[in-house]
Amino acid sequence: MMSWLGETWAILSKEWRCELRSRYALSTVLLFAITTLIAVSISVGPAGATPEQRPLMPVLLWLILLFAATAGLPRTFVHEEETHTADPLRLAARPSCLFCGKTLYNLTLLLVLEAVVTPLFLVLLQVEVADLWSFAIALLVGGVGLAVGSTLIAAMVAQARARGPLFAVLAFPILLPLLKLVIDASFVAVAGEAQSPALGLAVLYDSMVTVASLMLFPVVWNP
Amino acid sequence: MTIKQKTFRWLLFVWLAATIWAAFFYAPLSQGFAGKMGDAPQSSRIVFFHVPLAVASFFAFLVAAAWSGVYLWKRRSIDDHRAVAAIEVGMLYCVLATVTGAVWSKVQWGAYWNWDPRQSSIVLALLYYGAYLSLRGAVEDSEVRARLSAVYAVLGFVVAPFLFFILPRMASFSLHPTPGSAEMDREIGLVVVAAIAGFTALFCWIASLRRRVLDLNAEAG
Repeated sequence: MMSWLGETWAILSKEWRCELRSRYALSTVLLFAITTLIAVSISVGPAGATPEQRPLMPVLLWLILLFAATAGLPRTFVHEEETHTADPLRLAARPSCLFCGKTLYNLTLLLVLEAVVTPLFLVLLQVEVADLWSFAIALLVGGVGLAVGSTLIAAMVAQARARGPLFAVLAFPILLPLLKLVIDASFVAVAGEAQSPALGLAVLYDSMVTVASLMLFPVVWNP
Repeated sequence: MTIKQKTFRWLLFVWLAATIWAAFFYAPLSQGFAGKMGDAPQSSRIVFFHVPLAVASFFAFLVAAAWSGVYLWKRRSIDDHRAVAAIEVGMLYCVLATVTGAVWSKVQWGAYWNWDPRQSSIVLALLYYGAYLSLRGAVEDSEVRARLSAVYAVLGFVVAPFLFFILPRMASFSLHPTPGSAEMDREIGLVVVAAIAGFTALFCWIASLRRRVLDLNAEAG
């Protein structure tokens, strides 16, 4: 019997090994985000964001990240159902390890996405961030929330029909409060204003959803 | 139909009729809504319908989350039917609360919609329970459907505090009256409480009928 951490690590490394074989999620997510980013950048114009447009920039960045995540994250569980590997996985791993492994995989995927897209976004739209540390923390906190919420919803959607559209329909109402909070936190970081409660509340959201997901996932996963 | 059900229906009918009468003829107009023009507007009587609908829909979603929790614990299909019935009727109440609010907003503030924090919350609640119903439509097996939708309903109640308490407070300003901000006469408060009780009882009755339909449908296969 493997230890809990060992089992989680095994799931995480299995996910990345499968991903690096096909690079399906990575290329979908990255290309989706970059295409949207180019569309946004062209419509904003070559001079970048004007001071009046600047408050909108965090909104655009988070919308790009959210929709890119929607395009790629549901695959973790949908893929298992499609290739009929879900049942062996039910036998092989404990639900909590499986959930944490899959969430960590989604989180690392999102962090790669953020690491590529955010600098490009800031450069192309010529946005200057006053407080880089707070901005990075907002990205991390938002990434954790997106990863946890999407992993649970993906596990649910994999057992239903019409998976792609259904994922967006189910995930958005759950993720919208988080989105609002991290957009506020990013805006505060870009403008370099005094502290707002948004970041702390986003951390609260992350922890509440994580606890709820850990309790609910075994019910979703085991018939 | 048993005697008890019949009595309940008659009591409910009399209660609601009396409340509606009291809303128009017993309760005075709320001075809290009197503008600079002077007289309090007749539109302030919306409080006897809009507020009870909103409170009862919140109650409905709370009940639905509780029954979903019970379903996950006991796995009886009757609890699943109770949760769906509560959400379906709760959705109806929620839509009515949104529409009455928007109409009143037009009269009082001059626009049907202005993304007041409360309006955003109620739209998100509608989106959320709309998503719940589309999830139910997307799963064929009744056991899987009940399980997944129960999980979704419980998850919603983890996120709900953010929608209803945290985000509205974070907004810089809101025109929406809160209990306490608009001063109310004792008569007004009395009728509002009576209307909340009446609308909640009406909800329980409609939801129980809907639950029976769902039970019979499941029995018929």
